Amino acid sequence: MKASGQEVIIVMIEDDEGHARLIEKNIRRAGVHNEIVPFTLGGKALDYVLGENRDGLVNRDRYLLVLLDLNLPDMSGIDILQQIKGNEHSHAIPVVVLTTTDDEREIQKCYDLGANVYITKPVDYEGFATAIRNLGLFFSVIQVP
Amino acid sequence: MTSTAAFLRSSLLMLGLGILLLVGIVGYSLWLVQANREYSDETASLRLVRASIVGILTTVQDAETGERGYLLSRDASYLEPYSEAIDELPARWKALQDNLGSRPDYAITLDELKPAIDGKMAELSKSIELTRQGKYDEALALLSTDAGLRLMDRIREILNASLERTDNQLLGLVSKQLSAADSLQWVTIGGAIAILLVVGGAILVIFQHVRDLSRAREEVMALNIGLEERVNERTEDLIRANQEIQRFAYIVTHDLRAPLVNIMGFLSELDTSIKAVSAYVMADERTPGEDEIREARLAVSEDLPEAMGFIRSSTKKMDALINAILKISRDGRRKLQPERIDLKALIEANTSTVRHQLAETGGEANITAGYITSIISDRFSLEQIFGNLFDNAVKYKMPGRPLKLDIDIRPDGPRRIRIDVRDNGRGIGQQDVERVFELFRRAGEQDQQGEGIGLAHVRSLIRNLGGDVTVESDLGKGSTFILSLPTDLTKVFRSMDQ
Repeated sequence: MKASGQEVIIVMIEDDEGHARLIEKNIRRAGVHNEIVPFTLGGKALDYVLGENRDGLVNRDRYLLVLLDLNLPDMSGIDILQQIKGNEHSHAIPVVVLTTTDDEREIQKCYDLGANVYITKPVDYEGFATAIRNLGLFFSVIQVP
Repeated sequence: MTSTAAFLRSSLLMLGLGILLLVGIVGYSLWLVQANREYSDETASLRLVRASIVGILTTVQDAETGERGYLLSRDASYLEPYSEAIDELPARWKALQDNLGSRPDYAITLDELKPAIDGKMAELSKSIELTRQGKYDEALALLSTDAGLRLMDRIREILNASLERTDNQLLGLVSKQLSAADSLQWVTIGGAIAILLVVGGAILVIFQHVRDLSRAREEVMALNIGLEERVNERTEDLIRANQEIQRFAYIVTHDLRAPLVNIMGFLSELDTSIKAVSAYVMADERTPGEDEIREARLAVSEDLPEAMGFIRSSTKKMDALINAILKISRDGRRKLQPERIDLKALIEANTSTVRHQLAETGGEANITAGYITSIISDRFSLEQIFGNLFDNAVKYKMPGRPLKLDIDIRPDGPRRIRIDVRDNGRGIGQQDVERVFELFRRAGEQDQQGEGIGLAHVRSLIRNLGGDVTVESDLGKGSTFILSLPTDLTKVFRSMDQ
């Protein structure tokens, strides 16, 4: 998965280490071998995505894809989504919301805020693995700027 | 209800008492009047007795006077009083008999009088007869026997004794009449006073009842006015509680589902790893290939322990979550025990548990209190609430800045008290001021151990006490937790029961 000849970095914001490990395993099984940068806290993840001063300028010469869990211990995933999509330098970064929540209003809110894909983590592992593998397919067709 | 029954009872009692008094007075008055009438009748009849006694005496004396005159003058014209007396005597005697006959005490008088009068009359008629025939000497001789005088004295004596007795009886009757009149007067005065008292008492009772009624009506009106407001308040509370339950259910199901995803996921990973291992172990006669050996080793050395580790930690996590929910539910179900509590003393005692941690960094705790600090509430809940708040304040103090705690207690409208717990800690971001009260949610930098239960617990505890907690915060400068409590928990229960 490349964009403008550069490797796309996958930023995984997920507080549950088990989930993170499962997501990584399935992404790898889908044949995606891009670098994955994991974060368990929203604040630290935003420091990385938007830069320490949160101005988003760090994104000028790199290409990211964000996997976002909505329920983080330190802040709400919705806030993270809002900040990424609200910054002119980062709003083009594809954000895949990957969470256990299947509340309709929450899903709608995420799409309204500019989320590109919303995936519910099913308890049924086959469904989970399939969802991630489809995500791998999505990665291979997505036009990352 | 009880006041109405008491009113009925007391007014009926009053009425009954009044009626009884009046009946008594009327009865006694009637009896007195009747007695008076009897005295009057008796008086009248005694006067007749007296008149008839006087009448017979006069008649007898008239007869004697006529006889003496005739005897001296021998003139027939002097005989007139005698003739009249003789004519009148039977009527007089009859009147005397009529008036005295019914009175047994006079019976002896009549019996004694009859022969005396008869004797006297016989003596008179005999001397007159002798005079008329010209036998003056015989007539004078008859007179000088003194028999007539004695008879006359006897008559006088009997009649005077009767008169005296009659007069005494009359006097007795008069004094009886006077005392009856006196009694009547006193009974009337007493009756008037009693009536005044009963009427006054009745008016007082009615007045009190009317006042109670109007007070109750005012209360009902005030309640009616407040009812709409209370219904709205309750509706808002219900909506809020409902939203909280939904949010709680949402959080709980989400957070419980997360470890389940892990368990199911890593169980599948175990399957995958076992396949790799079994390919090696079950190879039997066939020599396993390089790849198979490498995969089997990798599975045994890395994948299997990793999967089992995650399954174990996820199970523990679920257990911890369930325990946390149980704790909140248990505290929510605990029976509250309202008692009088000095809020200031309770807060002081609670700050002392974190005092040494404050002292370590040169921090301090100040309590300022208004006039009223005494409330009726549940001690255990309040201790938990302040304990959690002070623990949090210590835990999330701004590194390098001595922690300063300011607790301010003051009245907040009628029957409510407000406690501000202000710290100069790291503060909470504006977007997180509601989130910090949610179960399993935390805010800011995650450099402290914690499960995200403390503030959720505080809010559920204080709402159980009929209060609420909110927070105002300035990120990096400090937070103020604003607690509002009813001053009397028992009144909150009562208004909930209504």
